[in-house]
Amino acid sequence: MYPVWEVPGLTAGLVLGLIAAFHMLPSHLSVGAMWLNVYLESRAERENRPELLDFVRKYSRLLLIFSYVFGSLSGVGIWFAATLAAPRAISGLIHNYVWGWATEWVFFIVEVVGIFVYVYSFDKVDRKTHIRIGWIFALGSWTTMVVIVGILTFMLTPGLWPQTGGFFDGFFNRTYWPQLFLRTGSMLVIAAAYATVIAARVYDAKVRSTVARAASVFGLGGLALGAACFFWYRASLPAHAVEIVEMLVKPGLRQGMIGSTVLLALYFGWLIVKPASARFWPALASILVLFAGIWSFERSRELIRKPWVIPNYMYSNQIIGADLPAKGVRSEIPAINERGILKTAPFVPKNLREVNDENRLQAGRMVALLECAACHSLQQGGVRSLARIAREKELDADMMEGLLYSLDQMPYMPPFAGTDPERRALAEFVAALSKGELR
Amino acid sequence: MTTHAMLQALADPMGVPFYPRVFQTLGVLTFSIHILCVNLAIGALVLSIYGRYWGDDFWKGLSGSLAKACTAAVSGAILFGVAPLLFMQVLYDPFWYASNMLSGAWVLGFVGVVTAAYGILYLRVSRDCGASGVVSAALFLVAGAIMHALNAQMLAPEKWTDWAVKDGAPSVSGLALHAFEPLRFAHFIVPAVAAAGVFLMLYAWYFSPREDFDKTVLARAARAGASLAFWATAVQALGGVLWLVTLPSEFRFHMNPAFVVAALLGFGLLGYFWRIRGKEDPAASAPGAAAALFIVTLAMAASRETLRGLYLGKWGYTLAAHQVHLDIGSTALFFATFVLGVSVAAWLLAVAFQAGRVPGRWTPGPRMQAWGKASIGILAAWLVVVVALGIFITFKNHGA
Ligand code: HEC
Ligand code: HEM
Repeated sequence: MYPVWEVPGLTAGLVLGLIAAFHMLPSHLSVGAMWLNVYLESRAERENRPELLDFVRKYSRLLLIFSYVFGSLSGVGIWFAATLAAPRAISGLIHNYVWGWATEWVFFIVEVVGIFVYVYSFDKVDRKTHIRIGWIFALGSWTTMVVIVGILTFMLTPGLWPQTGGFFDGFFNRTYWPQLFLRTGSMLVIAAAYATVIAARVYDAKVRSTVARAASVFGLGGLALGAACFFWYRASLPAHAVEIVEMLVKPGLRQGMIGSTVLLALYFGWLIVKPASARFWPALASILVLFAGIWSFERSRELIRKPWVIPNYMYSNQIIGADLPAKGVRSEIPAINERGILKTAPFVPKNLREVNDENRLQAGRMVALLECAACHSLQQGGVRSLARIAREKELDADMMEGLLYSLDQMPYMPPFAGTDPERRALAEFVAALSKGELR
Repeated sequence: MTTHAMLQALADPMGVPFYPRVFQTLGVLTFSIHILCVNLAIGALVLSIYGRYWGDDFWKGLSGSLAKACTAAVSGAILFGVAPLLFMQVLYDPFWYASNMLSGAWVLGFVGVVTAAYGILYLRVSRDCGASGVVSAALFLVAGAIMHALNAQMLAPEKWTDWAVKDGAPSVSGLALHAFEPLRFAHFIVPAVAAAGVFLMLYAWYFSPREDFDKTVLARAARAGASLAFWATAVQALGGVLWLVTLPSEFRFHMNPAFVVAALLGFGLLGYFWRIRGKEDPAASAPGAAAALFIVTLAMAASRETLRGLYLGKWGYTLAAHQVHLDIGSTALFFATFVLGVSVAAWLLAVAFQAGRVPGRWTPGPRMQAWGKASIGILAAWLVVVVALGIFITFKNHGA
């Protein structure tokens, strides 16, 4: 157990969620945009319409700056935020999937070199070579998705990995294919929405129409693919995840997903019929709608992983909760129940190692930081604030203690791990917190 | 709990999928490129600012190109920053994570600082490297300082428990940086000027065949570059010696081959730059200077890695202690992809290289065209193989 880093009110997990949702836009734009570009650039060449290149040029500059400045750094941001939210979890992932990330990194090289060369050689090489550069970028960046989806889906459905410990057994799991094509659909939608923004800024009305219509066809196709794969994805979810969807995914998130899909379908449909009416503000609004949809989906995806951060291996509070014979790892719960969490975790202040009458509330807070703070805010308010929950449910210390015996009866929470005095200390801490007796 | 026991409790129990030496080698290699890019970025930006505010026409004219070089170098720094970040977490997980958690706010702040610095660079500095250039450069230095502090904190596990506690309560804000070694930091930042110097020589060398470039400007760039490279390396050598003597004497660095080789190479580089500086046309030596700088950087990175081993060895932490659960499949996937990916990236770079050397549009010859077609083929073939493997495994493991 590493030292705890607390983001008051928000939890480090939500900070990670925010960065990850933002990252969706530039990263999927990066994967999707070049397909539209090579299509239009080839068309400009074939139909001898060099004026189309005006759009391609503007659009690729957006790609360079938005995707490669803010996209690559928000990617780094996800990594750092994930480290801070759950270092042991990211460590577990890396110790299994290091070569997966390293493989993705190779394609990241191709992408970065590719986009620079594509943008800066626009007028420096012949069109055919330039289109070839575009193809390399388009293929190379879709490949990064082929790789990363394996690791992402592993975190929900690890396939045969818990039995074999094998890389590919976890990688090609039952949600891999639906999520790969779901994301492929969304990449087309994202690329299309941004393309309509840029198209609206092109002065030539004919170019604007051509681009807006082509982009909308891409976008509508992407929506159709994405929607179909969404149902495929739902059908491939394990029973536990479906149960959590029913319990935790609030109506707002569902409406966010459905509503944004419908609005975007209407928007693209309208532009296919009347492409000349593409305007900047509606286009920008389409991106906000898109973001709402992405946020709803990613939040739901995050929720249904609970209580695990790596299924059947590590809980969200980073306690290893199951044996993993393939790697010779044992559950930590029995040892913690015997020795106590305060004696097991390395970074507990000396005066809190043993619960006594003087330090009871402080020790309880330490336990809460270690075992609950990953999902619950320890402030009066904030994300799933323990104080607020206890107030709303009118839990006193005794009831709380009782609840802690059966925490994992709820499908979204790990069991409490620790000794009886530690459980009591935690319960008293939560009760005191809810009465506002502590800060 | 002793430091040793703490480290054992923290270490990831799952072992590593291949031999630790291989991850270490990749880490050192990619870190060398990272730090070269960092140096070029900072050096080029500083020269660009100098040119904009204080330079004569020559420096003013170069200011824009230097700012552009900085943008590309920052991309390189990020690209080659994530790789050591990955390999570090394979081999030194307890150290890196503890250091991060103790300074959580700074870790996230690092991302914000780099994003701001890079954003400013693109949106403003690329047009005019004025005050925004200064802000950007300052932010990059802050980012480097954070990276350095995190690396320094890693090396002192005996102090972590003190850092994690404040007045008997857990310290959870992550608002403090706990370690900073000015000489070490300087050792990774001073070469910025040398890197920018070598870049100027390369600039002169690269554009020398172009008729539309002013020959006197190119010649002056090469001379200025050679001079900067020499003087910066001289300062670096001095600082390096100073840093070495301040290291714990128990490391016996004067007996350690990694340090001795790095130091000798460093002084060799100084002599080499001295020779180039005296030449009529330093531009012709530019590729050699770049290669020499790279080799010395590699040696420096290797001794930095050795140093880390010495610090952590005090606590019984060795690479050999990692349990290896060989995973041949994924290892093969990476190395095959690496070879193929580098060949594709090389084509892109070769196109850019040749296209930039002629005025106007450049059309590749038949060999380059074939290589380009092959690159697309390689990517398509990679996808076909991986998808086929995926389908096979899906059916094998999960049935129809
Ligand atoms: C994996 C994340 C996670 C962890 C770790 C976790 N919880 Fe929860 N907990 C939840 C979620 C999700 C809910 C449901 C909240 C909601 O309904 O919005 C919840 C609800 C609760 C409730 C209300 C239960 C009810 O009757 O509905 C209590 C009390 C609670 N948690 C206490 C704790 C305590 C104490 C800990 C630490 C030992 C803890 N939780 C650790 C995720 C977690
Ligand atoms: C552009 C701004 C950056 C600057 C100025 C910078 C500077 C530095 C410096 C000076 C060091 C050496 C520190 C020491 O050993 O004391 C370093 C190491 C490192 N940097 Fe960066 N860096 C930057 C960006 C990044 C980014 C974006 C990443 C990650 C994606 C990164 C990842 C690393 C890693 C992992 C190391 C340690 C490597 C190792 O020990 O093997 N850096 N950096």
